[in-house]
Amino acid sequence: MNFEINSRTVNNQTAVVAPVGEVDLHTAPEIKQHIAALSDQGCTQIVVDLSRIDYMDSTGLGVLVGALKRLREKDGELRLVQPTPRVMRVLEITRLVNVFQIFHSEEEALNSLPGGGA
Amino acid sequence: MTAMDTATAGKIELRIPARSEFLSLVRLAAAAIGSQMGFDMDAIDDVKTGVGEACNNAIQHASATDRDIQVVFSLQADQLMVEVRDAGAGFDLSSYSEVDLDTVAAEDLPDSGYGLLLIQALMDEFDCLSQPGAGTVVRMVKRCSRPA
Repeated sequence: MNFEINSRTVNNQTAVVAPVGEVDLHTAPEIKQHIAALSDQGCTQIVVDLSRIDYMDSTGLGVLVGALKRLREKDGELRLVQPTPRVMRVLEITRLVNVFQIFHSEEEALNSLPGGGA
Repeated sequence: MTAMDTATAGKIELRIPARSEFLSLVRLAAAAIGSQMGFDMDAIDDVKTGVGEACNNAIQHASATDRDIQVVFSLQADQLMVEVRDAGAGFDLSSYSEVDLDTVAAEDLPDSGYGLLLIQALMDEFDCLSQPGAGTVVRMVKRCSRPA
């Protein structure tokens, strides 16, 4: 299965994480570790771009929930961008759509963060 | 002859090691079988997710053993039935507590436990038989939506 994580730091506190492929029990731990590493480096405002995720299972949802909780413990935030219809569906079924702030574009998500992500 | 007619009354069995790298293979099979039965794209995605979630649970229960996971697809005239069996430790279903996701605060949300919710929502029928020490069988049904 092809899976990769692209990411870039916007500033010392903010990063964009863009996984590509299918997020499941096998690949979700990579996202968890990636976000944890960014958080350890001081990035507590994370934007996760879900526009290239073909499939996400409950493990992936759990990783996003866990990341949101850990970042908020550090007064940080997690934003989601452009979930594909399939990912949106699992967010809706689990009512997690009410928990995450979801944006149509990376720019909107960054602008919603304290300091505008600049 | 329709795609579904060619697919009726068949049984397809997969046996995979209880390791997460085989999940995508099971989902591919589930999607192919759903397509063969004439399901639309949404229903195929539902089957992929339902089967994937059941296999997630099976891998987590059985990963401490060397026992394989068995996935049985029963292609019937009006529905697809899938059974996912593991010979792992099993668990006490009565100990499974559901969180009220409509009212729970974000900081109290669980990091896991969304899989059964997804199966129940996406499949038309769902049963789980499990006992400590006796393994687990998850049985799911997705009905064909076309008129009989």
